[in-house]
Amino acid sequence: MDFQFSPDEQAFAEEVRGFLRAHPPEGFAIDGMDAGYGSGAHSRDFLRALADRGWLTMSWPRSFGGQERSLMYTLVLFEELAAVGAPFGPLAGCNQTAEGIIRYGSETLRREVLPRIGRGEVTFWQGFSEPEAGSDLLSLRTEAVRRGDEYVIRGHKIWSSHAGIADYGLVLARTDPSARRHKGLSMFVVDNATAGMDIRPITSLTGEVYHYEVFLDDVRVPAGYLLGQEGEGFTQLLRGLDTDRFWGRFYKAPMLRRVLGELVQYANVTSRNGVLLALDRGLRRRLATLATDVQAARLLFYRIAWMIREGRPTPYETALVKVMADETGQAVAALGMEMLGLHGPLTGDSRWARLRGAIQHLYQTSLGQTIAGGTSEVLRSTVATRGLGLPTEARPRD
Amino acid sequence: MDFDLSEGQQLLVNTAREFLRRQCSPTLVAESLASERGFSPELWKEISVLGWPGLLVPAEYGGSGGSLVDACLLAEELGRACCPAPYVTSAVAATSLIAAGGSRAQRERLLPVLAAGERLGALALLEESASLAPDAIGVAAEPGGQLSGRKLFVNDAHVADDLIVVARGASGLCLFVVDTRRPGVAVLPMAALAGGRPCEVTFDSVRLRADDLLGEPGRGWELLQPALERGALVRAAELVGCAQHILELVVEHAKGRKQFGRPLGSFQAVQHACADLLRDVETARGLVHHAAWRRDEGDAGAGDIAMAKAYASRISQAVARKAHQLLGAISFCEEHPLHLFHKRILAAGLDFGDQSHHLEVVASAMGLA
Repeated sequence: MDFQFSPDEQAFAEEVRGFLRAHPPEGFAIDGMDAGYGSGAHSRDFLRALADRGWLTMSWPRSFGGQERSLMYTLVLFEELAAVGAPFGPLAGCNQTAEGIIRYGSETLRREVLPRIGRGEVTFWQGFSEPEAGSDLLSLRTEAVRRGDEYVIRGHKIWSSHAGIADYGLVLARTDPSARRHKGLSMFVVDNATAGMDIRPITSLTGEVYHYEVFLDDVRVPAGYLLGQEGEGFTQLLRGLDTDRFWGRFYKAPMLRRVLGELVQYANVTSRNGVLLALDRGLRRRLATLATDVQAARLLFYRIAWMIREGRPTPYETALVKVMADETGQAVAALGMEMLGLHGPLTGDSRWARLRGAIQHLYQTSLGQTIAGGTSEVLRSTVATRGLGLPTEARPRD
Repeated sequence: MDFDLSEGQQLLVNTAREFLRRQCSPTLVAESLASERGFSPELWKEISVLGWPGLLVPAEYGGSGGSLVDACLLAEELGRACCPAPYVTSAVAATSLIAAGGSRAQRERLLPVLAAGERLGALALLEESASLAPDAIGVAAEPGGQLSGRKLFVNDAHVADDLIVVARGASGLCLFVVDTRRPGVAVLPMAALAGGRPCEVTFDSVRLRADDLLGEPGRGWELLQPALERGALVRAAELVGCAQHILELVVEHAKGRKQFGRPLGSFQAVQHACADLLRDVETARGLVHHAAWRRDEGDAGAGDIAMAKAYASRISQAVARKAHQLLGAISFCEEHPLHLFHKRILAAGLDFGDQSHHLEVVASAMGLA
């Protein structure tokens, strides 16, 4: 048993901290909102700075220009970035797409897209959900039809994060309409600049834009931009969702530690009705309880990372840890709002806001997280059936 | 990072699980808990032959010099079987105190017999206030003088041979090792739920010899602190074991029991509750292992142990309560084992500091003023 990062991994953590001291996150231009997952805002500026240090290609094979470092280095990088609130929003999507291209991609994708990911030039969105295909994703209707050396894609995607400011989408479409639900699906890398793409912003409850809906009107995609083979889409989706639940949530634990630290400082200097918040025994216990929950989730993330590194299957673990991280995040944000009281709803634009108005923002964004990437309801069923072997509920045949 | 158990640890777990499966049946547990002693002396003898009481005793005193991780792994198995044995009280708390604070003579006299399971130790700490704090100690004693007063909630004192008594002297708090058969010592079990054996112990002008003093006079609380933390952590491991077993009972029931022509476990309301039980057990185990590993590595980590104990107490109680609901009416019966696990969880959750005690430790460790 060993809960520690190796000396080399610890040295890398120090290297990242040194970089962050030399280049404070506030100094980078922001292009898209922070959706509260822990990876901060969307900043191409910051992404390029990471790429300049070679940190976007750490886990790639050497034959693809990577450094073949273990995933623990990516873990360390995410943790250090989240601990200071750096704007690395697009990073997980870049890593995930690169992994997909390295694993399944054509020569064209490896030549035309992969190097640009390594240089931090491009960001990605996911085109999975549709208006009528949410939790029941396999009922999706977007179609791709092969015509010569192209595919023509027609359909409607929604809840695609940062799609309007990204470069490419990973679009899941049906290539064989006659096949059963989970068969006949294929994954495409679609350039935002292609004719027929109509990407419309959806204003979120914070007043900012995070999600987009994407209308694909006979969008022509070169055959080389099909990821892998026709019909492999479902396998790639499962792998992608599994990766997303882990890598798209891992940084939430260090982020919540940072937020709890700020709430502790706030409690230490804020009195209400003549009593220092930090001396309120009930509040102390609730903060301690949440810190414990965050630590419990963090240790589970580490354990899963180790399982992935060791090549062990994680049939239910990523679903379990995602639910826990998201629900703990909601609880932290809710307690933060309660602690701030009347100051809670003040936004960062008010001179009277506390903690830069960050708590209300976290509170609002946290509401979407138990829905995105698999609702807590779907994922609890996953844990029950795949983790405990309970019988699946009767559902339409997949 | 490496989350695997070592070969030796895996062997310990496998041996314990198999031994307890064969020798510590639910019937034996129920009978033992209903008996006056609260555990089976025959079972304790066999456990002693396996060397478990000596797990934390250095090899030079007849133990196997195991780590705190080892003790937690064993305690989880004991919890999983709801094994009624004074393991944590004697083999963890009392033994740790004597190993850490005892003079050479005290260690030579007590550690080998504790390791062999031939003598049992217990910790006489709490009093009527039930407060786990140095200023709550009122029992008075002077080294070489007399010991008078009353202790409450002394777990397993009714079977203990030696009590480690926390008492207040002119120099401050002191620890004394006192034989329960010494004149003036009276032990009276407190009627309580079956999960623990709290006792009232009165000391009526008990004569203390100079060599009864454990550690330095006035430094008793400092000596006590690490042993309390070890006790808390091993209790947390035991709680994880209890919760693990309850989860297994629930899953077995959800798979086998049919209503409306379907297994219960195919209903989402049941599935989702079960998913939460799995989350609770797995994350609690992670906190326990992490805290034990840190302590073994020499890190202070008081906050880590407090997190593990507070969390394990909270989730194991939640698991037990939810299990009553999921198992249905049968779990309300004495013949069903759930209530025994539940009562063990209640008792273990209170031992070596309850949730609010440990959350306060966490709060301070977080930097709250």
